[in-house]
Amino acid sequence: MISGRFVLKRLLLLVPVLLGVASLVFSILHLSPGDPALTIAGNRASEEFVRQIEESLGLNDPIWVQYVDFLVNAAQFQFGESFILFRDASVTSILIDKLPITIELAVYGQLIGISLGIPLGIISAVKQNTLTDHTTRVGALAGISIPIFWSGPLLILLFAQILGWFPTSGRISAIYNVEAIRLTGLLTIDTLLYGEWEMFISAVKHLALPATVIGIYSMALISRMMRSSMLEVIRQDYMRTARAKGQGSKITVLKHGFRNAMIPVITVIGIQFGSLLGGAVLTETVFAIQGIGGLLVEAIRVGDYPIVQGTVLTFAFLFTLVNLGVDITYSILDPRIDQ
Amino acid sequence: MSTETTTETSDELTQRGLIDRFRASPFVSSLLSNRLALAGIGIILAMLVVALYARFFIDLETITQSQLGTNPNREPPSAAYPFGTDGQARSILPRVAYGAWYALLYGTATVAFSTVLGVGLGILAAYYGDVADNVIMRTMDVLLAFPSLLLALALVAIFPDGLGLWRAVIALTLVYTPRFARVVRGAALTVLENEYVDATVALGAPDPRVLVRHVLPNCLAPITVQSTLNFGLAIIDIAALSFLGFGAAAGTPSWGLMLSNGVNLGLLTGDWWWSFFPGAALAVTVLGFNLLGDGMRDALDPRMREAVD
Repeated sequence: MISGRFVLKRLLLLVPVLLGVASLVFSILHLSPGDPALTIAGNRASEEFVRQIEESLGLNDPIWVQYVDFLVNAAQFQFGESFILFRDASVTSILIDKLPITIELAVYGQLIGISLGIPLGIISAVKQNTLTDHTTRVGALAGISIPIFWSGPLLILLFAQILGWFPTSGRISAIYNVEAIRLTGLLTIDTLLYGEWEMFISAVKHLALPATVIGIYSMALISRMMRSSMLEVIRQDYMRTARAKGQGSKITVLKHGFRNAMIPVITVIGIQFGSLLGGAVLTETVFAIQGIGGLLVEAIRVGDYPIVQGTVLTFAFLFTLVNLGVDITYSILDPRIDQ
Repeated sequence: MSTETTTETSDELTQRGLIDRFRASPFVSSLLSNRLALAGIGIILAMLVVALYARFFIDLETITQSQLGTNPNREPPSAAYPFGTDGQARSILPRVAYGAWYALLYGTATVAFSTVLGVGLGILAAYYGDVADNVIMRTMDVLLAFPSLLLALALVAIFPDGLGLWRAVIALTLVYTPRFARVVRGAALTVLENEYVDATVALGAPDPRVLVRHVLPNCLAPITVQSTLNFGLAIIDIAALSFLGFGAAAGTPSWGLMLSNGVNLGLLTGDWWWSFFPGAALAVTVLGFNLLGDGMRDALDPRMREAVD
């Protein structure tokens, strides 16, 4: 089992990284062109009004005071108020609103990837150098070579435009009032909790294409990792021992091979989840889903800096947490690491 | 293999012929016997030919400016316009061809810059250790704490629009550098344990000589694999930034921008060819680099080589 000390050490190591992350975001925003006060006030505002806003944003303070304020606020998840996109709404509340949308998309995408990628990888390894193996490998390579912003439009074209099976964009049909059933913000769960069966189906249909796009990519990565990891494990002595004592080959592969081969795969799944959050920027743009990926792109475009810093920090924070989770899972699966 | 002997017997080498030596290396022979890797090389060479042809024989003005009135607008693929025409009546085929030039040019720049930076930092961190190691690698950790495309997006916003696709190159260089630094630091630490390094130091060789003549050449293998695999990523990420509107200036025949226009303006009206062809060119090019990179990785890993036999 894992020791509390191991987890504590990992948590402490996060502090400098997160401090660095926050400092980097602070510098990026201070280097970005454009005057936030002028952006808020508008081009025709009086000089005096602009000064007032600068004062209220603390832009006249020395840079280190601004930096410390920023760190103190960021540590409490306070990122100020949006100045353009959602005028005067707190960035934290916007993020709470939008984050579940992105997470729902990434989780379903990842589930598709895991449930297809792991069996494909195992089959590919067990049947090494057969036609099945070659097809899977080339398919996986193609999967990571096709950009999401091309596979997405292709799926829309085929399944939404030509066949008409799925909607082209959005999260749920516009006839439903989503706000009325908001609990977790995850539509597929909220609709079920409220017993709104039709809404549930609509949400699933909207989710199908974007989750598949993400799933294809993640399946490709996972099956590659699973294959090479399984190939390594299959050659180990303990596998031969298990076979020698008369155990069937299928049981050996699943019982002894699987658990050991999963260790590196879990790392890939974890890291993959982080980049899925980044990839959400693209998926959400293609499918016109209003999650935090789409929000970030819009905020950068119009120069809504509080939203940019809040979103980027949240993404980095989640990414770091996921990586920590991966490290801990890793040490559970392979006790030798915890030393 | 020490590089000292290589220089001393360089005359002999020239006689034996570089090509023979190249072929005799287990890495190259294993790579050339891998059909998938060969297919990758073929794709890359074909794209290179297209890119060079486009750069020298296609007039950028004509394919950038609107051709409304001259050509039919939003024409499906036909004999006259094999890839069809877009919303400004520009023929899509020469634009896709020119896009190959942009993809390879900016992709190469990104990979080259991040390789040089990452290799430099990685070797310095490994060689000097202690404070240098900590400062360099902790900075890399911070950069690695962001999902890559996100960091690139945030960075791109700093640079003026006028830089066009070079904005994307600079941002992605910073994003990729830590990966190279990590790989190279690891490789360099292993090389530094060898006795010939101690011997060179004991003979009084200055640091730069040790690093450039002895450590660097022995780290080349992992660097090359990482570069090749990153090529595909760089081409996708540059296109992704353009797709999101941060990169190529309006009208530029870059694949990402063409895809974005095709998806936003053409997809819902059924003009599929507008986004299909630039996307296909992008996917095929990236596949080429991934096939080659994969083959190289297998060729470098003796266990994998065994598996192929």
